[in-house]
Amino acid sequence: MLDVKNIGKSFYRKEALSDVSFSVNSGEIYGLLGPNGAGKTTLIRTINRIIEQDRGSIRINGDLMTQKDLRYIGYLPEERGLYRGMTVERHALFLGRLRGLSKRDVHTKMAYWFDRFEINAWRKKRIEELSKGMAQKVQFICAVLHEPKLLILDEPFSGFDPINIELINQELIEMRAAGKTIILSTHNMKSVEQICDRAVLLDKGRKVAEGKISELRENQKQGLYAVRFRGNMISFVNALWTGFEVVDKEILGDDRFVVRVAMRADNSFDDLLQVLLKQVKIEAAWEVLPSMQEVFIELVTPKENLNNEE
Amino acid sequence: MRNSLLVAFRECRERLISRSFFLLSFIGPCIVLGMIYLAFSIGGQPKQHWKVLIADPANIMNSKIMAGEDKSISYSFADGYIEIEEFAEAKMFQEFDALLEVNEKVVSNKTGFVFYREKPSVRMRTQVQYHFERRLEEVMVKQFTDLPLKEFRKIKQPINVNFRDVYDPKDEASALNGWVGFFFGTLILTFIFLFGMTILRSVTREKSNRIVEVLLASVSPNQLMIGKITGIGITAFVQFIMWIVIIGLGLYFMRELLFPDMLDAANIKFHDLALDGVDQSYPERYFAAREYNQFVELIYNRVQFTNMTVFFFLFFIAGYLFYGSLFTSVGATMGSESDGQQFVLPIIALLLFSLYGGYYAMNYPESPLSEILHYLPFTAPVVVMVKLAQGYEPGHAHEIYVSLFLLLGSAFIMLAIAARLYKNGILQFGHRLRLKHIFKWLKSN
Repeated sequence: MLDVKNIGKSFYRKEALSDVSFSVNSGEIYGLLGPNGAGKTTLIRTINRIIEQDRGSIRINGDLMTQKDLRYIGYLPEERGLYRGMTVERHALFLGRLRGLSKRDVHTKMAYWFDRFEINAWRKKRIEELSKGMAQKVQFICAVLHEPKLLILDEPFSGFDPINIELINQELIEMRAAGKTIILSTHNMKSVEQICDRAVLLDKGRKVAEGKISELRENQKQGLYAVRFRGNMISFVNALWTGFEVVDKEILGDDRFVVRVAMRADNSFDDLLQVLLKQVKIEAAWEVLPSMQEVFIELVTPKENLNNEE
Repeated sequence: MRNSLLVAFRECRERLISRSFFLLSFIGPCIVLGMIYLAFSIGGQPKQHWKVLIADPANIMNSKIMAGEDKSISYSFADGYIEIEEFAEAKMFQEFDALLEVNEKVVSNKTGFVFYREKPSVRMRTQVQYHFERRLEEVMVKQFTDLPLKEFRKIKQPINVNFRDVYDPKDEASALNGWVGFFFGTLILTFIFLFGMTILRSVTREKSNRIVEVLLASVSPNQLMIGKITGIGITAFVQFIMWIVIIGLGLYFMRELLFPDMLDAANIKFHDLALDGVDQSYPERYFAAREYNQFVELIYNRVQFTNMTVFFFLFFIAGYLFYGSLFTSVGATMGSESDGQQFVLPIIALLLFSLYGGYYAMNYPESPLSEILHYLPFTAPVVVMVKLAQGYEPGHAHEIYVSLFLLLGSAFIMLAIAARLYKNGILQFGHRLRLKHIFKWLKSN
């Protein structure tokens, strides 16, 4: 669907993007991750042709992207604004028409989305009369009104309460099911784990990692295993002896614990289970994969900082 | 194109439905009409005593002129030629306020000149003109026809009396017309400033509330800028037309209802006039009827409004594009509201200089500087209006098109510069604008 190849962009002497490449497949939710200043917004603006790249190319369905392709893209920027003096309806009509819809089409789609987000009663209200959450719903609707094939969302959850975050999440999942492609730039790693299929991680304008969410987590795993058991903690520790190391523990109550264990020497998960089965009653055991939050921190924290901390 | 039109339509609609637009559309022309009404009302009021020396070397007037019972004016006759410089400087002429020059061919060329020391009141001008005209009519009737004077007056051609400053004997009528041009030019600048500031505010608002990024994902910066300038320009145009219609209607009703006597020849009661001799008296009511207000004549008779209106709109459009691009550039490059206020000062200075240029051209229409100001893009809208009102010399009418072409050309260059600044500056927020930013943005693609 979208091929970004060797994109480079500098602002005077500062390099904002350096040889960034990735591909987004049709019908997937693709995470665009990175710390502040990593170049995510610059990249998004480049895809939206708001700014022009110095190097590289962007292709949609194999063809070089043109101004006309913007009709197939929906964009919700991070710092989004509305014309405060306009009514909700007028605003949606204006942006819908800018995206190439006819007046009639805008009204039809507006009716659908206003119903779906339950803001029908607000359509004649001025934007300045809306609450922040309500205004954000309007912004989201304006981004998807023209049923874009590719939807680019920059921090779509910021400012939303948990109920509305869930609402947006569900919408995105439904859109994916309908074959839409979504690029999601967010710092909300929980949402990334929940809904993203793949992701690219940028840092200082460069691509640090790319792949399926599960792969990214897999790549950063540190050989930790978690065991949930009922029994005596001292017995548990004694059983491990020198072959394993307790990393941390969580007390669940009623002599129940969850302990994370690291392997020593050539010991395996099977070895661990065999040692423990004789001492405690194991309820569950699994390999610990890092959360996306941990992957993110691991990949973008400068190594010298980590060394200093050690 | 479609997107530019959509942006233009939104800009236009937003302003047309605003209360301030309607207030300005009605209050503005009402203020102008009020000022015109005042000028009409007080135009003939002041009186002064005048001593006029009539230089009549051919003795055409036979040392006679009707002064009547009006004590505010007295005439003396001189037989020989009097040079203007001599009249201005010589001690013996200092007691006279004005010199009425009766040339030998006055009967055929129907033109006389009055050189005054201090600018006379409207009433005084009218009196002198009236006295001179009446006396010449008598002379002409005696010389050329058997018609009674009353009948002759119905068919005679008017006498053209030119009033000139003896210390600066330039064409007084042109200077007067020049004021109308200056008014038109000022009107252009006022609208340019008002709607230029509207562009600035609109760009700033879109920038500060970040809607611009949403828009730029659908339209190119150029389309957005052109749409904005066009939309606000259309609003200005609509308001302009409303002003012209309201002022036009106001002038019409003023003429018909408030000041019907001023221009209607039917109100002149010839039968009430004494027809001959130096001591003829005339009723005050005649004079009130006959007396024209110079300003009234200027407004209703002298100015070629059709011609002026056409060029007025052309220069307004070109001037608006020129200055509008400057306002757009400032709006797009600024990092905060206070930046905009600072950087708008040079534009205001340019507008004020333009205004001064118009005033200068009105007073010194033939000077080389006026010639330069006529072609400079930022002064052209006012200076051309002034020159247009004063009238171009035969064979020089092309100058107006040259000036218009130069202004349009400059406007397009400025638009190209503004487009580059808009593209590079519109997404920059929160910075402290420096000249180096502007140069950088101008250089980058």
